[in-house]
Amino acid sequence: MLNPLRSEAEAFRFLLYALAVAVVIIVIILAARAIF
Amino acid sequence: MEAASIAHGGVHDGHGAEHHGPPPANRSSRAEPQLLGMFLFIISEIMVFGAFFTAYFFIRVSQGDPWPAHGTTLPVGVAGFNTAILVSSSFTVHWAEQSIKRGNRFGLKAGMLLTFLLGCSFLFIQINEYANIGFAPQDAAQQTIFYSLTGLHGAHVFIGLLLLLFVTIRSFRGHYSPEEHRGVEVPGIYWHFVDIMWLVVYTTVYIL
Repeated sequence: MLNPLRSEAEAFRFLLYALAVAVVIIVIILAARAIF
Repeated sequence: MEAASIAHGGVHDGHGAEHHGPPPANRSSRAEPQLLGMFLFIISEIMVFGAFFTAYFFIRVSQGDPWPAHGTTLPVGVAGFNTAILVSSSFTVHWAEQSIKRGNRFGLKAGMLLTFLLGCSFLFIQINEYANIGFAPQDAAQQTIFYSLTGLHGAHVFIGLLLLLFVTIRSFRGHYSPEEHRGVEVPGIYWHFVDIMWLVVYTTVYIL
């Protein structure tokens, strides 16, 4: 299991996952606002 | 510390080695002290951010007022550009840490210097945003929580910049090696935490 507080490499990977999630959420919100 | 290990009569040469008696006092047998310290610190700071996010959602949901407040606009584009700067700085600090693991001192120095400069740019743009945003923290609850949440993050960026400055200076002095670079890794973990927290703050405050 990924533990971002165990090493810098794992923290960086967690950041990449968080970035991907943030981008998906932002795209969904902006798309929803454009449609509705 | 070596005396304490010898007194216990055990050979502590890594995971799976024979242990006789209890481990050394005030030492975790599973985590290095530096990493454990940063682990506990980051967990406590996540709780602080949690309290501020609670206030943000309470103000935004319970009052029912539009967000942002009537007559105000949030600089989503500028903050988005700032987000790109901060994310880039996480890439550069990762580059620095990976470089010193492989003995690449140029990569360490360049990465740390770039990270510090990108972090300073982020903070400078944030302060400039405060100066030109058009409302003050005392105007209303919405404005207060905006400044509080982004300001709390800005304070963490400032702390991170201090750590990065120390690491950058030590990097140029040749203090780190492939065998001993914990001083790069631990501030790197903190900086990634600051970046991840900004992603949450940006998505919540500027986009949502």
